[in-house]
Amino acid sequence: MFRKVLFVLLLVSVIISFGAKIQITIWTHEDPNRTRIEEKYIKEFMKMYPNVEVKRVTYPSDKIRDIVLTAFAAGKGPTIFNLEIQYAYPYITNRRVVPVDLNAIGLKSYDELKKLYVKGTLDAVTYGNMIYGLPLEITNWALFINKKYFREVGLDPEKDYPRTWEDLMRISEKLTIREGNIIKRRGFDFRYPYYLTFFLPMVEQLGGALFDKKGNPVVINDQAWIKVLNFMKEWGPNGKNLGSPTYPAARKEFNKDNNTIAMCESGLYQILRIKEENPKFYNSNEWMVVNWPIWKDAVKDVRCNYYGHYYMVNMQASRPEREMAWKLIWYMLSHPEEYLTEVGLIQPRLSLMQSEVFKKFPYANVFLEDLEKSHMIPLHEKDPQIEQLLKEMVESVMLSNVSPETALNTFKKKLAQLMEE
Amino acid sequence: MKGNKKRKLSLEKKIGLWGIIFVMPSIVLFSVFSFYPIAYAFVVSLYKKELLSLEAPKFIGLRNYIRLLQSESFWNSVVATLKFSVGTFIPMVVFSLLLATFILGRKRFQKLFQMMYYSPAIMQSAVAALVWLIIFDPRSIANQFMNFILRTRGVDYKWLVNENMLILSTIIVYFWKYIGYFTVLFLAGLASIPKEINEAARIDGASRFQNFIYITLPLLKPTTTLVSITAMIQCLRTFSTQYLFVQAGASIKPIEVITLNIYNTAIRDRNIGRASAMSVLLFLVIMILTVIQLKISRSEETYY
Repeated sequence: MFRKVLFVLLLVSVIISFGAKIQITIWTHEDPNRTRIEEKYIKEFMKMYPNVEVKRVTYPSDKIRDIVLTAFAAGKGPTIFNLEIQYAYPYITNRRVVPVDLNAIGLKSYDELKKLYVKGTLDAVTYGNMIYGLPLEITNWALFINKKYFREVGLDPEKDYPRTWEDLMRISEKLTIREGNIIKRRGFDFRYPYYLTFFLPMVEQLGGALFDKKGNPVVINDQAWIKVLNFMKEWGPNGKNLGSPTYPAARKEFNKDNNTIAMCESGLYQILRIKEENPKFYNSNEWMVVNWPIWKDAVKDVRCNYYGHYYMVNMQASRPEREMAWKLIWYMLSHPEEYLTEVGLIQPRLSLMQSEVFKKFPYANVFLEDLEKSHMIPLHEKDPQIEQLLKEMVESVMLSNVSPETALNTFKKKLAQLMEE
Repeated sequence: MKGNKKRKLSLEKKIGLWGIIFVMPSIVLFSVFSFYPIAYAFVVSLYKKELLSLEAPKFIGLRNYIRLLQSESFWNSVVATLKFSVGTFIPMVVFSLLLATFILGRKRFQKLFQMMYYSPAIMQSAVAALVWLIIFDPRSIANQFMNFILRTRGVDYKWLVNENMLILSTIIVYFWKYIGYFTVLFLAGLASIPKEINEAARIDGASRFQNFIYITLPLLKPTTTLVSITAMIQCLRTFSTQYLFVQAGASIKPIEVITLNIYNTAIRDRNIGRASAMSVLLFLVIMILTVIQLKISRSEETYY
């Protein structure tokens, strides 16, 4: 009797386990344009694989880092997720994600996979000869300009747009409107606090660096750093009062076309966000995109560092979940042209970068030109802490009247302490 | 007689048993959600534990505490917390008492005033901070108000930029949010003072001011102690205002209170061991304050 009951129970559990659907959860950052197409791909994928159930959850981009981290720490991470690479990199080094499943995506080797992408764009997720993520987007920033504010102050946007940082400051001064000390319209403002993305290349253009050849963080060429810090000091509220980290984000204000900002720095996706948020401005032909500036006496022609978002798969997911997760990622990412035309994201597939669709996309050439002169933000296990130290240094100079020399010395001291730990 | 005593004891036991049964759910919940995390935090604070690492945490004894006490960042947080707490709780206690007296003295619209002052307390801290971020925008009403009052034009008071103004801004948000809550506590305290005592004093010729200083204030001591310690503890636990201000671009150093440092150590630095050590230290400070509160409130019990 007991054996019979045991047999029936075993049979039922086998049937249930085979009949159970594979559950996949994706956590990703908010982007209404992307949500629209990814929800569509997920529906198509679930039709192709009826035994799979996919749940896509979005979080604000400044919150998702903490949410994913705490979920992983508690062993409850999602099956698939994406973060800016500097925040995702420790998931690779801590073995919290699995390498790309070549069988699942129908490729024979990682070399074959690498050949599909622009050279070097998979380096950030390559660790010990394995590839741990597939690029959802590679993003660099260029300069967005509202043309009518240029004309308003007697400048021709097509000819007089800033090419150097010196130009940028001079033109911003012209464009800025103040009531006493209160800025009513900023000419341009930086994208705080992404100092690894925009501040480091400014230093590099002058021959400075933050990482030595072995990848260890160390301040190289003090003079370059001090020049950039002086520029930021002059920029801030205690200098020429052209902008500040405490004002609303320039790129968000730019889309509104409400006379609060004339220029901002942002990625290609900004174009479709303008279209989504302010179609009137988008169709007005009153905005344009130009290359990211460089110092007049630059010794190295590097542009804004690019960063990447890579889809990755949780190591703690079951084997069938992982396999299906890679299949789903591969399916979604097999539409790079749609990601570009619908969301404005650059997936660095060779086929896309050489396609007519890419060439015809508004201002894609500007971003590509800069991309070719850029490199990815330097990856280090302690990137978040390093970026925080950069923030403290730059903002102490901009907001608290600390001298660039003192700020740099404090930064060096704190960086050394951080590395000691 | 013997039988009676036996029955009485068994009744007491029965009552006691029911008492334990009724209290059990909260003890269980408290143990799971409060005592266990405290004990766990203490254990974790003795380990080197990285939030993402799958490797076993390494026992390092009191090294996390030693490193903390040697850390510039920790002492900066202690100073930031003290500045914020002292700057908030003293005006909060004084003004909530004054407001409570004012409300109690009104014959009309008493409930309306209570509701108005209390309403920010039910608002989410994050929402309150966001509302104030808009107010502190240089183009917004904080600057307009100051320029109107001081008869200046176009002066940027740098609410989120200047170090002292930044601390003041966080104090204002907290003050605005919790003043109503403590006013209600004082109202309850004031209402419990028998009217006859005040009437007797007035008959004896005491002025309103004398009545307040010599009669009301001494009788209100237990409430004042309760409000002071509760306000102090609340201030030590402040987090969301500072967190959101930093997210909005404010400098972190002047407002990196201990809770924000704990959060950054755990999440940004992924150092859960050291964050736990900081939490344990904060817990000890709060516990000491609570014990003081209990002792004072017992010694200051007032009988009418």
